[in-house]
Amino acid sequence: MLVLLLALVFAAVELLPGDAASASSERGDSAADVEARRHLLGLDRPVWERFADWMTALPTGDLGTSARGQKVTDLLADPLPNTLLLGGTAFLLTVLASLALGCWAACRPGRLTDRIVSHAATAAFAVPEFVVSVGLLLVLALWSGWLPAVTLTGADGAPGSWTMLVMPVLALVIPQAGWNTRIVRGALADQARTPHVEAAHLDGLPVRRVVLRHALPGAVPAIATGIATSTGMLLGGAVVVETLFNYPGVGSVLASAVGGRDTPLIAGVVACAGAAISLVLLAADLLRDRILGARP
Amino acid sequence: MNRRQVLWAGGAMGAAALLAACSSEDGGTTDGEPGGDTGPKSGGTLRIGALGRAGAITRDPHGTQANESDYLVIALVFDTLAVPGAKTNTVPRLAASWEHSADLKTWRFRLAGGAAFHDGTPVTADDVVWSLRRLRATPSGAARLPGVKGPESITADGADTVVVVSDHANADFPLMTRLTTFVMKKDTPDGALDKAPGTGPFRLDWYRGGNARLVRNDKWYGGTVHLDAIEVTMFETPQAMANALLAGQIDVASNAGAVAARTAATRKDIRVLRRPDDMAMPIVMRAAAGSPFADPRVREAMRLVVDRGAMVKQVLSGYGTVANDIMGTGDPAYAKDVPQRGRDLDRARRLLAEADFDLSRTYSLVTTEDIAGLAESATLFANQAREAGIKVEVVKQESGAFWNKTWKTGDFYTTYWGTNDSVAFFASKTMVSEAGQNETGWNDPAFDAAYRKASATADEKERAAVLKELQRIEYERSGYLLWGMADGIDLAATKVKGLPTLPGYGRVQLENAWLA
Repeated sequence: MLVLLLALVFAAVELLPGDAASASSERGDSAADVEARRHLLGLDRPVWERFADWMTALPTGDLGTSARGQKVTDLLADPLPNTLLLGGTAFLLTVLASLALGCWAACRPGRLTDRIVSHAATAAFAVPEFVVSVGLLLVLALWSGWLPAVTLTGADGAPGSWTMLVMPVLALVIPQAGWNTRIVRGALADQARTPHVEAAHLDGLPVRRVVLRHALPGAVPAIATGIATSTGMLLGGAVVVETLFNYPGVGSVLASAVGGRDTPLIAGVVACAGAAISLVLLAADLLRDRILGARP
Repeated sequence: MNRRQVLWAGGAMGAAALLAACSSEDGGTTDGEPGGDTGPKSGGTLRIGALGRAGAITRDPHGTQANESDYLVIALVFDTLAVPGAKTNTVPRLAASWEHSADLKTWRFRLAGGAAFHDGTPVTADDVVWSLRRLRATPSGAARLPGVKGPESITADGADTVVVVSDHANADFPLMTRLTTFVMKKDTPDGALDKAPGTGPFRLDWYRGGNARLVRNDKWYGGTVHLDAIEVTMFETPQAMANALLAGQIDVASNAGAVAARTAATRKDIRVLRRPDDMAMPIVMRAAAGSPFADPRVREAMRLVVDRGAMVKQVLSGYGTVANDIMGTGDPAYAKDVPQRGRDLDRARRLLAEADFDLSRTYSLVTTEDIAGLAESATLFANQAREAGIKVEVVKQESGAFWNKTWKTGDFYTTYWGTNDSVAFFASKTMVSEAGQNETGWNDPAFDAAYRKASATADEKERAAVLKELQRIEYERSGYLLWGMADGIDLAATKVKGLPTLPGYGRVQLENAWLA
């Protein structure tokens, strides 16, 4: 899958107008200068050949060299951990928030609380990260002054203070928590119709106990899959959110790499993001197998 | 947004000088703030934001600095031979003085006394020679040190004099040394550029991913530096930079642009600093045979069609001034006595009829979205031309395609230059018939002769007269339609004083800044 994705990345950059040599050319460079740089960067070779080269080096941890001659691994050394911190925190909070909200609503099936949570969750998911970010910025930073508006980094390349993480994380969590709350609530509703949960209900056990002890375990596989698919959206949203909050992650690297038609750098970011997403999906599958007893 | 062309233009010749019209400001590096009778205060850390992209970071003082943030850091750590000035467009820095031979080909730069690297070793002519040779050997070296053929043209004469030989008379040579000729220690290896000591007003404390902290160089030969330190933060977008300023996380947003300025204009605690003559965005009409604009009467008609006031108001949000089709508006020698050309549709129609201009055709005006306002200027001009019966269609091109395919060859397109304080610079770079970047394909023997005479004239008065003649020819028949000049716009907290007011790369001269 990842190989196919990376092949697509190479092909997509090839289709964009211009290439790394022309994108990095200076005003005054002659056509011969650009051609010389094209040769230097190996851009005169067929795209599949460059892709094969890059892929064969990948297993050794070598992500190639950017169009500006720097090691891609060096370029990602600072921003990747920052993005993983942002995405990981947002992931954890998304899990916690959606489980809590989904269960809370399921404990009050059909009542006003349930309906409010469901509608709010739908609304939250419908609002793009961009809009959430701007709203948070206005309210929490520019009007109230409670939180810093952008992320400033220190000598170690990491965000200067944890308060700078709050808004970027919230901007990612709010839409994704909306999406997952719907999934949790839906999975619990499905479970509520299963015989053992209905039986527990008829036994007169308190609703909270039925939801948490009897319905939730059966709902976990569905919830895990839903949350795992959020990983991709969290990382995609991070690109937008990082730009708005000047967060020092891979989002800005990716944006400038696309502008510079820097194929090895783009592929490097995609490979890292793809690996992270694959890991979470794998974890979700393992969890599902374990609970369902390895049934297909 | 892609600024590398502007940066190159700025890098190629440094920043521009203050327009004489800006005389209400009291000098090159003060703010014109009332109540400034208590002199500058010492101490404090200035937090400044500058634009940059993570993928374009560079630490090489002689490379192409595509990021303003990197250029700012480099310009504060390393000194150049000369810098832009307010009253004359070139003032001494690491070179305390210079003199030229009678034929204006050999230039001798005498280094400032007491200049030393941050590690304490004094600066010698050998260091400067090594640095200039390294600069000359870069891909853009020929453009940055025009007329200097190779390493043998740059030599040391004793410990404190550097001799540079140009292959043609060039009265403007010191201008070319501004803000590109960063001096490093002799034999600094390429692998050690990021730690190399400079001679500038600040030395590097740390640099990481585009962000940096610089601390004062107490032994700087160039005068007293007030700030203890400067912290540079790189911003991907002007919006994020403006937000950081509004939230009080930074003190200065450098080159934030008109949109951010409008946002900040309502805030009492933020000042909008306008640096006039920062950016030229002319429309290029190809003057060579075969182009629809080959007839000078057609070019004059197009210059009469444009509504300059409306262009400045709408394209630049009012942050700019009307121009008069002469490039280099910030030059102290700019011809202010040439009458301002206005809109005259009747005369334009007459000229077009005389020249048999084909009004049934639709003309493509090619543009790109490299900088804010550029594509908008093309669209607005197309609307204005329609009022004169000329059909203009705007074609937007991706940046790479534009510079590779349209620039220098197209019949009708927009361009931009970030350096505007030298009439002679534009003449030599873009208008003399043999110029490598003759954007308009213009070939005018009278103009060529005027340029050659100007560059070979040492006497200031005589030279001014020749430059005036040169500008008159340019006004009458060049291929440029220069409708206006954009201001450079910085945003700053009110406590920051002594910020630069010069256009272009003058904005990185922060050595006189202080915090109230």
